[in-house]
Amino acid sequence: MLFGGALAGALRTSLQPLGGPVSLQTWRELLADPAFGQALGFTAGIAGLATAASAILALVIALVLRRHGGALRALLALPVPVPHLLVAVVAVLWLAPGGLAERLLGVLPVDLVHDRAGLGIVAVYVYKETPFLVLLLLAAAGRGLAQREEMAAALGVSRAQRLRWVIWPALRGPLVVGSIVVAAFVLGAFEVPQVVGPTSPLTVAEYARQATENDLIGGEGLRAAALLVSAAAAIALAALAVRLAKDVDGR
Amino acid sequence: MGAERSRASRTAAALLAAAFALPLAALVVRAFADEWRAPAVVPQQFGLRGVHEAFSSMSLEAFGNSLLVAGLTLAAALALGWPAARVLGERRLRHPALIFGLLALPLLVPSYATGTGLTEWFLRFGLADSLLALVLAHLVLVLPYVVVVLLAGFGPALRDLEEMGDVHGLSRPARLWLVTLPAVRPTLAAAALVGFLVSWSEYGSSLAVGGGRPMLPLVLLPFVGSDPEVAAALSLLFLLPAVAALVAATHAAREPL
Repeated sequence: MLFGGALAGALRTSLQPLGGPVSLQTWRELLADPAFGQALGFTAGIAGLATAASAILALVIALVLRRHGGALRALLALPVPVPHLLVAVVAVLWLAPGGLAERLLGVLPVDLVHDRAGLGIVAVYVYKETPFLVLLLLAAAGRGLAQREEMAAALGVSRAQRLRWVIWPALRGPLVVGSIVVAAFVLGAFEVPQVVGPTSPLTVAEYARQATENDLIGGEGLRAAALLVSAAAAIALAALAVRLAKDVDGR
Repeated sequence: MGAERSRASRTAAALLAAAFALPLAALVVRAFADEWRAPAVVPQQFGLRGVHEAFSSMSLEAFGNSLLVAGLTLAAALALGWPAARVLGERRLRHPALIFGLLALPLLVPSYATGTGLTEWFLRFGLADSLLALVLAHLVLVLPYVVVVLLAGFGPALRDLEEMGDVHGLSRPARLWLVTLPAVRPTLAAAALVGFLVSWSEYGSSLAVGGGRPMLPLVLLPFVGSDPEVAAALSLLFLLPAVAALVAATHAAREPL
């Protein structure tokens, strides 16, 4: 009820920003703004790259770690309870010009803080989300998977075949669900882009925040409309991902 | 050959784990470094300036607000999430997928969007900028996580245990205390941990509905660009309850029924 009310409230604010008659003026303004188009593309790029990189890395790490015990898993899991904002603070500490990485290595091959490509934002999300996905995958793997793998090996199934027919089916579901949560978060959060992202282009959430900073009253409608677009994108993406994951195996 | 491969795999796993754990350690050093100019790898001067700033009255007020909101949100989420998770976990619904989908929707929508939408209603109902508004805004995000984690604890195995309790003549409160709660304790601890962490780190909805009330993430952010030492010290203050919650949850999850 609260969530439905929130979406209805955001929709109403976008259609009646100043409490006047219902109008599509805010939506027209938003869709005609080239900065919003840039923000949408930039956000989608970051979300896609961060999610794909985290998912691939998590899969590799889970395959390496699945036979290792508690201490290593606990070390790897350290970033999970750490808030995103703190990871962004750590990123600035290490990756900013004159930061620890530059002091230790002499020079960094690419700019990662406030860079126009948003690679710093991607790096923060990969660092933060990969352990979360690894934990999901390891929980799904459990002891049952190891037993099934051993049985398959005893029956003469090759490593590649075990990976395709025993391991992947067990990990695919949690990987898709976890990736959806990660992508949705990246699409909507703005504390990380605010700390390590560029001033232009903006992410959609930052665009929304700045809309009210620039125009406290009129910007409310623009903010609500922009956020509704990213909410719709996240829901559509989740539906598509679930559909694709089902189609791969036909179930 | 086998032993060599195992050693290589162990080394790779240890390096990977260290790569994720090590960067956080630098935060501790930065918080106590009064002077740390480039290109020095070690601080020129250690001190407590950042810590003093992190314990200023504004930061402590923000810390208290964040803790209070997270505690109240978690309590509400557990109270509301328990029956929902039980019904879903025991598969008593005719269309669980639909309910599950609806329940998961808030996880997909930016918290700043839900916060912005709720502000409209809070203004109408006279709740704007109140503590209750913050708790309700956080609840929208925390409740789905709590239900999703909690429902793993409910199912036929728990029902069998509870029936055994009934057979032995336990009253409903005694059954809850002696059977149900010990049996679901690990799941309950995990749900409480996740719920607390989500509320504790929440930024978007706090900004949207907080009305300028200091919350720790909001107080921390401006220092990141202006004063790294204070930002690092505040980060440690921010991290402390999260780590305490993790330790408490791990402890509570031991030796279930």
